[in-house]
Amino acid sequence: MGHAFSSADSMLILDETTKQTHSATHAATRINASLNLNFEYDAATGTAVLKASSQEPPLKVVRAFIVEDGSVLVHVHNVSGGLLGGDQLAMSLEIGESAHVQVTTTGATRIYRSRADADPATQRIDVRVAQNACLEYLPDPLIPFAGSRFTQRTTIHLDAGAGLFWWEVLAPGREARGELFAYDAVEMKTDIFALGSPIAIERVRVEPRLYPVASPARLGKYRYWATFYICRVGPEPGEWLALEQHLRDVARELSPAADALWGISTLPAHGIICRCLAVCGRDALAGLHKLWRAAKFTLYGTEAIPPRKVN
Amino acid sequence: MRASPPASPALAYLQLLHLADSALPIGALAHSFGLETLVSRGLLKVSDLENFLRGCVEESGMAEATFCREAFHLASNRGKNFSVERWRHRNASLSAMKPARETRSGSAALGRNFLMAVSALGDFPVIRSALEDANQPSNHQHPRVIEHSPAFGLVGGALEFGEESVVVAYLHQSVASLVSACQRLLPLGQTAATQILWNLKPSIIETAKRSLAAHLDDVCCFNPLLDWGAMEHPALGTRLFIS
Repeated sequence: MGHAFSSADSMLILDETTKQTHSATHAATRINASLNLNFEYDAATGTAVLKASSQEPPLKVVRAFIVEDGSVLVHVHNVSGGLLGGDQLAMSLEIGESAHVQVTTTGATRIYRSRADADPATQRIDVRVAQNACLEYLPDPLIPFAGSRFTQRTTIHLDAGAGLFWWEVLAPGREARGELFAYDAVEMKTDIFALGSPIAIERVRVEPRLYPVASPARLGKYRYWATFYICRVGPEPGEWLALEQHLRDVARELSPAADALWGISTLPAHGIICRCLAVCGRDALAGLHKLWRAAKFTLYGTEAIPPRKVN
Repeated sequence: MRASPPASPALAYLQLLHLADSALPIGALAHSFGLETLVSRGLLKVSDLENFLRGCVEESGMAEATFCREAFHLASNRGKNFSVERWRHRNASLSAMKPARETRSGSAALGRNFLMAVSALGDFPVIRSALEDANQPSNHQHPRVIEHSPAFGLVGGALEFGEESVVVAYLHQSVASLVSACQRLLPLGQTAATQILWNLKPSIIETAKRSLAAHLDDVCCFNPLLDWGAMEHPALGTRLFIS
């Protein structure tokens, strides 16, 4: 199937004014670094391999680990410990045909307080998952510190038969310090395209000082917010409805509603979105793992293997 | 017969009032867009209602207002700016922004019904083009949808109403529909409901103003509890509403 929308027509393209503003502020950025990882399927070994990479500090991948199911696992490490105002990080993931890849982080992504005159810390993630390949992107939570500003832009393209398990967890701040929703702004923009058509567009901007997070239309009493996209290009709508119901049954066995709420819904095509609102981060993460396991088994007939980590 | 735009401001005003009336037979009263779940799970009470609806206007209202305004521009200038590809793209994008399938299908039903209701009132070429495009055979995995807020904006532009009036009228009728749903779900009387809707008018106007400066790419929406209610609505055992 051809791509339904040209990039020129996309609402996602920045207009000229925005481009000029970005170039004007470019010189004032602290760090401008990128990490590009290309994975391929190696028919000789029956596993995925990290074929090529380019890395600029502070982003680093030490090595790729073969997982017992033939996929390959990498840990993305930010050696500076987090993002400061004005940092511009970019990550590109190319998952070649039939390769199965897991990407995780070595720890939570910390967004440090921004100087008043600094641009927001930004992170750009571009992903292409080729035919019959699969990406499991399972990072630790994002923790925006008091006074921080962060913008993330993610674009994911899925080809025929491509699979995706992609979650993100937004923490309220440094809870142990009693720092809740003390950040200035967090903006997360995610676009997922299947065969060129949009199947999920997420546009979230949280500005706790301007718009109260505890509003009953926003988080209410909950503090953590998580989104989990489960996609595979190909299955018919009826199969996704059946999986929606199955995952809802799994979610019922998770934390009581007083601790966490789980919402499950099919996307317009080729996938499901799971949303979590939780009082504690550990409830969100535990539930995400259970939903991942159930969905992976249904879609691929294989077990989800949690990434090896020190922490 | 091709219908002409209204000849006088008074007629335009009355037509806009008519099209923004919740009594317009497009099915708006059959949807709660997740409110029913929130009420049934004890997460929304009368005491929270005004604050809740204000949050909805600030977030999802802002997104819908921006798409409504964009569609208004597509249809304005007597349809000279209209591009069916752009129209289709805007609707697909707005649909993909909605995480709950019942919210997507509810809004798509209202959008299509709204255009059909208006097309029955006269021949408006832009509206006819939009409906014809939606009726074209399409991939069942990616059906062509008509979302409610762009449909409202498109009609406003085609009938040459005032842009600001169209955006605030869209927001007002959507909030009025939610208040109406709450009257059936909660112990909310007529007087209290009227007061809430009255109190929300400044927020509606403020949101419409913000949408004036917004680019489609800047549109954001953070209504996680409402989204959750809409996503879990299919799981309710007994339901008054379709969504």
